[in-house]
Amino acid sequence: MMTPRERIKAVIHFKKPDVLPWSETFYDETTVTWLMQGLPADRVTMIEWVMNSRDGVLLLNWPAVMGFNPWAYFGCTDFFGCKVPIDVGPLPRYKLRVLKTNDRYEELMTETGAVARRIKKGEYMWYNMPMFVEFPVRDRKSWEEYKRRLNPKDPRRYPKDWEKDAYLEVFEKYQAGNTILVFNGFYGFGAEIMGIPTFNLMFYRDPQLMHEIAAYWEDFIVQTIRDAVETLKDRIDMIYWWEDMAEKHGPCVSPKLYREFFLPHYKRVVSFLKKNKIDRIMMDSDGNINPLLDSVIDAGITGIWPLEVNSGMDAIAVKKKYGNKLFLAGNLDKRELAKGGETMRREIDSKVPALKEMGGYIAGADHLIHVEFTLQKFNEYVEYLKKCLPY
Amino acid sequence: MSVNLLQNIVTTLSELEDSGKIKRLVQEALSQGIPVAQIVEAGLRKGLDAIGKKYEHGEYFLSELLFGAALMNDAFEILEPHLKLAGVENKGTIVLGTVRGDMHDIGKNIFGMFAKAAGFDVHDLGVDVEPACFIEKLKETEAEILALSALLTTTRQEMKTIIDQLSHAGIRVKVRVMVGGNAVTKDFAKEIGADYAAIDAVEGVEMCKRWMMEK
Repeated sequence: MMTPRERIKAVIHFKKPDVLPWSETFYDETTVTWLMQGLPADRVTMIEWVMNSRDGVLLLNWPAVMGFNPWAYFGCTDFFGCKVPIDVGPLPRYKLRVLKTNDRYEELMTETGAVARRIKKGEYMWYNMPMFVEFPVRDRKSWEEYKRRLNPKDPRRYPKDWEKDAYLEVFEKYQAGNTILVFNGFYGFGAEIMGIPTFNLMFYRDPQLMHEIAAYWEDFIVQTIRDAVETLKDRIDMIYWWEDMAEKHGPCVSPKLYREFFLPHYKRVVSFLKKNKIDRIMMDSDGNINPLLDSVIDAGITGIWPLEVNSGMDAIAVKKKYGNKLFLAGNLDKRELAKGGETMRREIDSKVPALKEMGGYIAGADHLIHVEFTLQKFNEYVEYLKKCLPY
Repeated sequence: MSVNLLQNIVTTLSELEDSGKIKRLVQEALSQGIPVAQIVEAGLRKGLDAIGKKYEHGEYFLSELLFGAALMNDAFEILEPHLKLAGVENKGTIVLGTVRGDMHDIGKNIFGMFAKAAGFDVHDLGVDVEPACFIEKLKETEAEILALSALLTTTRQEMKTIIDQLSHAGIRVKVRVMVGGNAVTKDFAKEIGADYAAIDAVEGVEMCKRWMMEK
């Protein structure tokens, strides 16, 4: 019997596993809601022994709740199960602080330098996202300032205990899922520091600056990950390349802009990875990414998640068009799955058997499992899907 | 001459040439005594329509849409002092906002920019808007259209609350309700009794124009 890691590795290399791998991601509030709906707390709560208190004064070990592990309970895998611990964010971080507040909202300086306004009331705290009212980069001057926090040689980018042999061993032994290295693609990076409207406008307002930022992004990523990539090589099963560069209608940037501003830099990053035997790169982009797929493949990206049905993504159609140029993950319509019963079964039946035969597919919902998906309906989904996975 | 100049404005806008050029052309049109209403209708709005069509046909994407709207704003800066006296036709009135509990505004803002540029009087109430505020603003402005945005599946239920309140306030028949945002589908719009679900800003504005023509 193959391990979960072996299954994922087989599929992303277009080989046949014994059982089709299945991966999900969960919002924490979904897990908490399910605890209230009867999910056994002792089976999904992760407890670790920590020094108490953490200032190191009291040398006492104490069990603390560190999070949730629904993956083991439901028997699916987590893309982020074993992650290379590199920090690709701004260093030093901005100081997280409340800038202003009133009865309904508070405005916070986030650690990445954006100002976020969020609703304070508990009723809307969960399953909500803040509104970003300001971003750290607006123009050349603010970019030059921000860039100072993107020093790839900053020793804080790697853990204090970065001891290569020990990490090699950890990555070698991990079998519960895939090992992964995560960073933002140029779109994800740019949208995070400028906000979507400004970043998209800048391609026309100041193309020279955008070329410079793209070149810096490339150099920053390669230099930052170099040590880990050259050490761990293909013990890293997959690169997780976050973009979120599409909306329902289509990509946020045209194929023309992609080819001009993204492609040359992407090819160089991918070439560096390939030189180190890492050749599986999964792009995370919501929305309708179809018009960009030719260019994305040209860049060296080899997989896509989550293929949102709501935006018109169809894994079977993508597979038919691109075959083994792309492995695919997700695409089971979360809205249909959450309805349960016949609707859920129809969604699975219409996709999983066909994609299983076509190969290069990791089953799962077409985004994170959201809070409206009840535990009872999710259990129903798990039970039915599991029957469809073995070859 | 004026036809050429107006056509030049259309092309400059639809081909997304630089901001300086569009401003120069609008200034030149004013200097030549072309009526402001004509510059707006036969130049700028036609250019914007062309951008919308290219977006719908998959030639333009979000970046181009945003830049097109920005160019339009640049041109309107030049026209601003002349607009009040110019008799530019108001295409209709829209009350716009993101529903209570939802803080997303990118899609809403793009819709607002395009609707304004298309000649609508847009009252943007912002994000996280209480249902009562929509009702109040609709009564105050006598707007023909209510455009609601929600990104989240949890907050889209607010749209139903607002539509119910329109009925209670006795103004549902006077107002066309359009819903939009990532969480919204055509089926959902039908389910909650909205008149239309817009897949994107351009399609939404086109439907608003059609509704006003039907009146």
